[in-house]
Amino acid sequence: MTADYDAVIVGGGPAGLAASLVLAQAGARVAILEEQSELGGQYFKRRHGQILERHGDFRPAGTKLIESVRTAGVECLTEHLVWGVQDGELWTSGAKDGKLGRVRGRLTLVASGAYEKAIPFPGWTLPGVCTPGCALHFAMVDRVRIGERVLVAGSGPFLLPVACSLLEVGASVIAVLETTHPYRFSTTSLAAITYLKRMRELAQYLSTLRRHRVPIKQGWRVSEALGNAQVERIRLSSDRGQTEEVKVDALCVGYGFRPSTELPRLLGVQCRRDPVSGDLVPVIDDYGRTTTAGLYVAGEVTGIGGVDLALISGRLVGVAMALDLGLLTESRKFAVARLLATQARLRKFARLTGRLFSSDDGFRSIADDTVVCRCECVTAGTIRRASLNGWNDLQAVKGFTRAGMGPCQGRECGATVARLVADATGSAVEVFPARMPIKPIRVPTDGILMTSPQSAGPL
Amino acid sequence: MPRRMTVLACSLAGFSKQVRAAHQGESEGCRLEVDGLSLAVIAGQSLAAALVEHGVWAFRRNPITGEARGPYCGMGVCFECEVEVDDRRAVRACMTEVADGMVVRTLATPPREQ
Repeated sequence: MTADYDAVIVGGGPAGLAASLVLAQAGARVAILEEQSELGGQYFKRRHGQILERHGDFRPAGTKLIESVRTAGVECLTEHLVWGVQDGELWTSGAKDGKLGRVRGRLTLVASGAYEKAIPFPGWTLPGVCTPGCALHFAMVDRVRIGERVLVAGSGPFLLPVACSLLEVGASVIAVLETTHPYRFSTTSLAAITYLKRMRELAQYLSTLRRHRVPIKQGWRVSEALGNAQVERIRLSSDRGQTEEVKVDALCVGYGFRPSTELPRLLGVQCRRDPVSGDLVPVIDDYGRTTTAGLYVAGEVTGIGGVDLALISGRLVGVAMALDLGLLTESRKFAVARLLATQARLRKFARLTGRLFSSDDGFRSIADDTVVCRCECVTAGTIRRASLNGWNDLQAVKGFTRAGMGPCQGRECGATVARLVADATGSAVEVFPARMPIKPIRVPTDGILMTSPQSAGPL
Repeated sequence: MPRRMTVLACSLAGFSKQVRAAHQGESEGCRLEVDGLSLAVIAGQSLAAALVEHGVWAFRRNPITGEARGPYCGMGVCFECEVEVDDRRAVRACMTEVADGMVVRTLATPPREQ
């Protein structure tokens, strides 16, 4: 079968952009497939219209990178959701019109990024409860505060910039609740001190929070969100057994990020368990080559590490793909040795961060009546009972309870459901397999492809 | 008196960039019709953020329990912010930019018979 491009890149975030630039500059015909209407992914999300006019550019490095990518001649297929694969061909659906598409590259790079980790608690489905990433986007990209009185909770270094962004748009941040105790002296936190850029960022966030008198409460978590139409009060608890109740009009809570590995898994790559996060990640070499010939991964999908690591892994995978395409004979001019060294150092920092913020998972303490699967409204108790009622494993429990079968397809609850089943049955933690469509698509697209795959024309 | 002085200072120094931008906002005017009400929003915002700015958090009903849901992930993963936009159903508001004249239906509007 003929290829439409030398390289097809799924995901227009930092890693995909960086890789596309290297490839295009090496002379490859490159296309980026991006679900959103604009390149940039989550980190380099762009401001638009009057927001851009009034408040200036957000993360100008992203604008520059996107401009270079467009100038280099990369075909930027935005509003193209990749929802399925067949024999290495990617099936797309127009984000707005559901228009069917098929794209094939000689090589394929998946830079599908990550999404946020949630741990369910009573009331987490109330309007007014959102993820830290949602709060940050609203604040920084849309200049909208999620509320006047906001609580930021969960775990991970990301909570600090989120709290600062809320302050910037005039919200009153009651507190930042950090489930673990990372901000204190320990052998792990001391090891982080050598990462000067990260420490500088941390110091800036901490000083902003101090200036606004926002306390960082370590060892505290949200135990319940209460309200009628919308969140009104939050019950908090500490790992020492203290409790508190605060009034809010919005809450953002999240526990870091999880690699979005559905597409590489659908494409057949071998995965392994990340020892620190427990997440399933593709097995790769230093450049992002997977176990499947012609298939590469880069950025957060390979394991959470932040934007700098995503950009470097993108550059490295770009070089590897250009070499494998025969467009480069040697990689010296890309300073590969230095990139590899920086990548190794940033990965080490990512592992350090993972250890620093690792907590007792809290899954065991989820009460039976807590809704775990938001879409299908399945409680922890239903999942536990099904596990012990002869449904045995994750797949059967999913089928019986419908947990993970709603429109988010288990992205929000999957890891929790898996932990609950494993806990109840005393077996190893499993994962939901990747299935087509990777994301819900408009029915006509699905219908055309499924009924007559041969007759569907090119698009 | 202080207010008059401010007005004077403004007219002397010319309008600041922000004031100009605000005026443009008014003249260019981006308005949505949300459940029959007209809302002024800022061009360039995502529909989800624009609704939240106007205090609208309840976007849809969960089909199982009927309870209200609103934007949660903000990045197109959770599908909790789905609304009806210009007769298109199940549109993720977080992935949709506002446009002048856009007609939006949330859970506040009962579903039409089709």
